[in-house]
Parts: sequence; C-alpha cells; structure tokens
Amino acid sequence: MKSTKSNISRRALLKVGLAAPFVSALPGVISIARAAGPTKLQFMYPVGVSGDINKIISGMIADFNAQHEGIEVEAIYAGSYDNTEQKVITSIGVDTPPALWLPINSALQTFLGLDALEDITEQAKADDIYDDFLPGFLNTCISDDRLYGLPYQPSTPVLYYNKDAFAQAGLEKAPDTWDELLETAKATTLRENGELKRWGLTIGGGWHDWMFEGYCRQNGLVPWQKDKVLFDRPEAVEALQFWFKMVQEGVMPKASTWQGSANDFMAGSTAMLYHSTGSLTNLRTSSPFEVGVAFMPKKKTYGAAQGGGPLMIAKKQSDAKKEAAWTFARWMTNTENQANWSRATGYLAVRKSSWQSPAMQSYLEDVPQAKVALDQSEFAGAFLQVPGYHRVREFLKSALDRTLAGEIEAATALGEANSNANREIARVMRRRKS
Amino acid sequence: MDATIAERPSGAGSPPAIKPTRRRSLRSRIASCWLHLVLIPVGLLWISPLAWIVLTSLKTKIEVFDPEAGFLPAALNFANYPATLAVAPFGTYLINSILVTGSILIGQLITITLAAYAFARMEFPFKKILFTLFLLQVMFPIYAIFLTNFVTLHEFGLINTLPAMIVPFVASGYGTFMLRQSFRQVPAELSDAARLDGCGHLEILWHVFLPLVQPTLIAFTIISVVTHWNDYMWPLLVTNSDDVRTLPIGLGLLAKSDSGADWTRLMAGTTIVVSPLLLFFVIFQRRFIDSFMHTGVK
Repeated sequence: MKSTKSNISRRALLKVGLAAPFVSALPGVISIARAAGPTKLQFMYPVGVSGDINKIISGMIADFNAQHEGIEVEAIYAGSYDNTEQKVITSIGVDTPPALWLPINSALQTFLGLDALEDITEQAKADDIYDDFLPGFLNTCISDDRLYGLPYQPSTPVLYYNKDAFAQAGLEKAPDTWDELLETAKATTLRENGELKRWGLTIGGGWHDWMFEGYCRQNGLVPWQKDKVLFDRPEAVEALQFWFKMVQEGVMPKASTWQGSANDFMAGSTAMLYHSTGSLTNLRTSSPFEVGVAFMPKKKTYGAAQGGGPLMIAKKQSDAKKEAAWTFARWMTNTENQANWSRATGYLAVRKSSWQSPAMQSYLEDVPQAKVALDQSEFAGAFLQVPGYHRVREFLKSALDRTLAGEIEAATALGEANSNANREIARVMRRRKS
Repeated sequence: MDATIAERPSGAGSPPAIKPTRRRSLRSRIASCWLHLVLIPVGLLWISPLAWIVLTSLKTKIEVFDPEAGFLPAALNFANYPATLAVAPFGTYLINSILVTGSILIGQLITITLAAYAFARMEFPFKKILFTLFLLQVMFPIYAIFLTNFVTLHEFGLINTLPAMIVPFVASGYGTFMLRQSFRQVPAELSDAARLDGCGHLEILWHVFLPLVQPTLIAFTIISVVTHWNDYMWPLLVTNSDDVRTLPIGLGLLAKSDSGADWTRLMAGTTIVVSPLLLFFVIFQRRFIDSFMHTGVK
C-alpha cells in the first residue's frame, strides 16, 4: 500500500514538472501570477529628527503601494543611523539584504567595501536625475564618477542665533566671518559677578567633527580623500586653533553634547549654536524667543559638510527587485514628495523643481529661515567618506576634545589623529582586499 | 528600586527587631526615627527623577526650557499622551514586551534551576570544563555574539517573530552560576534526608532546594526582567514589523539624533514604558522583601 501511494505522488509530481514550462510561457498566466505575488521590497530607514517621521514615511509608503500595482514596499524602522547601518550590514552578512536602505552618506565607502551597492548611473542618466538634483547633494552619492544612491534627506549644520540675546547686546546682524563670530560671541556672553549666565557660542558636541569639517572647508581644505584623511594640514590646525581661542576667551564651552546643546539654546544659555538644519523645526517651535538662522561664518569661503542620507539599492537581489527598488527610490525623490518631505521635517529638498514648486515657495515665505540652509548647501560637500569612518570620527573627536580641554597642542593632536586615522583606513582597505 | 527595598525594613522589619527587646523600646524608637530621618530624604531623592518625568510629560514644549517657568507645569497638559501613542502602536508593543520578558523569564527559571542543580549536586564527566564554558558565556559581551545568533535564527527562519527575541536568552550562564552557588550552600543533610524518604532528583529539587533559594530566584528575576524589558538593540536587529516589536523601540522613535529629543513626548512615552514595571514591583514588593527577610535558613 505504501508503495502505491508514493508512486502516485511521484507521477503527479512529474506531470506538474512537465507542465510548468508550458504554463509559465502563457502570457496571461504570468500576469496573473504577478498580481497574486507582487515584488516585495524591504526598506530600512532611520529616524534622525523628532516629529512624526515614522508616520510620514509609513504614509508615503502606503501611498506608493496603492499607486503601484505589483510592488509592495515594507517600511522597516531601524533606529538611529548607526543602528540602521548595523541592521543592514547584519542582513548583508546572511545574504538577505533589504532592497533599499537609508544610511548616512559617510557610509558610502563602507557599503562599497562590502560590494553591496547597485550602480545606478545609467538609470539616472536616462532619467532627469543629473539635471534636476542639486549637484552638491548628488555628489554625496558619487564615487569614481559612478552613482550609488539618490540623495533623500540631506542636512547641513547652520548657525542658529537667539534674536533676543542679540538685541540685548545691540546687535542686529549675524556674524559673517570667523573674526566677527568671535566678536559677536564676546558681546553676547553674559557673566554676572564672574558667574556665567550665557555662553556666546556653543558647537553641538557629539557631531562637532562634522562642524569641524565645515571649518576646514571654510578655510579652503577638504580634510579627506577617498583613501586617506588630511587632518594635519595647516588649514585644519588653524581652524582648531581658532576654536581653542574661543574657549580661552571664555565665550565657548570646552565640550557639549548634541541634545544638551540644543536644550541650552532653547533655555537661552547660549546665544549662538551650530546645529543641524534637521533641528530647525524643533528649535523654532520650542524656543520662547525668536530664532535666527544664518550661514556658518566664513574664513576664505563659506563651507559645510553634508549630513543626512541617500537611498541606496542593494546589489545582491533579483533584477525584478532592482527595477522595483529603482521605481521606489525615484518616486520617493520626485518633485512633489521631496517638497512635502522637506516641509514636514526640515530636511532640504534634493530637487531644484521641488524648491520652485508653489507649495515650497509659500513655505519659504512663512519660514524664511529654511532658505538659508539651501543657499548654504551650494558650498557644501560630502562628509568624511572614507572606509572605516566610525573609528576615524572617534580619532578626530578625541583630538578636538583634548585640544579644547587644554591637554595638548592643536597641531600635535591633529597630527596624531591623522596618523591613527590613516592607519585605520589602510587596515580596513587591506582587509577588504584579502 | 533601592529605596523602596531599603524603606521596607524600617516598617516590615521593625516588629521582629522590637519583639525581643521590649524594655529598650525608647531606644529602638529613637533608632527607628533616626532611620526614617535618613530614609525619607533618600526616598525623595529616588522618587525625584520619576516625579520630574511625570511633570515634564504634562508640560508644553516651550515650558520645558523656559527658565521663567516653574517646576510644576502651568496647566496640566495631557495632550502629550495621545500624541505619543500616535507615534507608534504602543499597545501592541506593550503586549509584546510582556510576552517576551515573561517567556524569557519562565524559560530561564527552568533551565537555570536544572543546570545549577546538576552542577551543584551531581557528578558527571567534563563537569568542570562544562561549567567553565558556562562562565565564559557570562564574560562574552552580548554584542560579540549578535551576528552568530542572527545567522542561527535566520537559518531557523525565526527572524521577525517573537521567538527571535526569546530563544537566544532562555539559557543564562549568569543565572546558572548564581543559583549553583546558592544550591551549594544548602546543607547536604537536607537533601540526603529527602533521598532517604524516597525522593528522586526532581522531587529533591522541588521540595528541598527551590524553597530555600527563593531570594536568589527573586534577585535573578528582577535582574532578568529589567534587562530584557529595556533591551533595545537585539529586538531592533531581529524584528522588522510593528506587530512583533517591543516598547523600547517605540521610545527610540522619540529620542532623536539629528534634532535633539522631543522631551515632552519622550517623557510621556517613558512614563508609559516604566509604569508596568513599577506596578509589577509595587504589587509584588511584599513578597520580594519577605523572601529576603527569610534568608536565615542555611
């Protein structure tokens, strides 16, 4: 009895196997099969600014899924930028990468090192990406003239200032050069009987290496190349010496934290603050005074390092998925969606056409501060896109902290950070080759 | 929880202290008053962050940082709570947190009791080496084995399920070690007597050992529940969809890196996340303390 049973099932199996190629060749059947099983894409994203980004993204994706038959995107919240990177790399480790993800742009070389990114140069050239995207933002996704992502939520640091504190000190205008910055900081620092009431300037800690790259760029130096850093150049040393001078003059704290510095600004304990454009909405709506926004002051030129992240598409997935992922990335960065996203979050829209849209124009009339970051982005470039950037950032931050604490000379500290960072980069690249 | 635990001995613990020394009641009363003088400020100190969390959750955004505004909110603003609940499905998260933490705890209590009994009271080959391996597991930081655990779960097809957050933690080297030490302190005569009465290993364990090591079990329960209730990175790594995620992930949505935290809603969220734990401890407080008071059997 047993043997009869197995015989039948084997025969049935063979029949099905024979029929399969013929059935799948019928065009009608294929489209039915597709409708039954849409291409499923996983999209991992971080939430970098407060507000209801989680809700906004879920809403956008629900819209996308409704509009695109045959594609189903699953939005996966993955924590902070660092958490997202860990989650994506873990998934790549077991050969099931998400279809797309949204990392910080500094991670470009890290993912290229894992051979995880789909080259989308050709699709982008066939489309209007190279014409309509703001070049400063697009550059953050380019390595060796190839495009590996679509910028989605760029931000830069800007100078926030407390207009009440400025009025109190008889100032009207935000500082425009490093020298003016020092003067303004002196004028707005408040001490009563030797006790500090208000700092003139605070540079948001935790990301102060990001601000420092801005200072290097303002001094005419991009402090990294694809395979090394240039922290020991005189331009960088001069920038750090300027920071140290502000600390010595007693107008800037030696150290701060990212959230703490924003809190200090809102509480009026610092008159000026270097922080991300991503904080604009929060600072504007939570401060009991009027908030001004200005370019980060220049030395030789204006300059800033780009924060925020692009949408990247995984290389190791089926062509159907790649195509669907491209459709999705393209949709997320279309003119209308970018304008809405920018207004809802404070991130900068990546398309020129988004900024010209009527909705965006009326937003800029209501919140003229938002325009500052856009104008400044013309002077902004990618942030520290070197392999092993996590460790490199720590080396640089440690050098900055120790210098400001007065433990070590600026030149010595940056020299050490430079050689440590370059050794680390060489190590990561060597490991990648083997 | 330190202060509540510390506070109890003055209340629950004083009767046994007074009973044998009734003639010295004045002195003991002074002693207990003096203890209160110390304990009340300590208790207040302990409760102040909690009070601050609740008060901040009732303020408006501007009030939080306005130096002019007082410690108390000008008007009770409960709007932060619905606004927080709108960010993520906290109800689902709460149920998942309870399921995950509870399952881990039950699993751990079973495995560590059996393993600790074996290590404490039985002889078998490679016992020392095996125990060293258990200790080694304690020394490995959890982050070091994230990837291997992830690969294993992936092969089991458990990614993005509740068991993914439970399975890797059902055995605990730390708990086994803790319990083995307690078991070794139980006099051998007790278990020998039980064996003469005809008890097998499981019965000895159930009737003799477990009642005597209750304080250790409770201490371990507290450690385990707090650890897994607050775990963030592992659940974030192995889950993708809202219906299997836990409370700390919801909190993570409100503490942002780019823009600074959304304090009012973060505090409302924190209140939501910690209150079940607090409630749990308040309800079982007497049991916890009692078991600690009865540790005299040795």
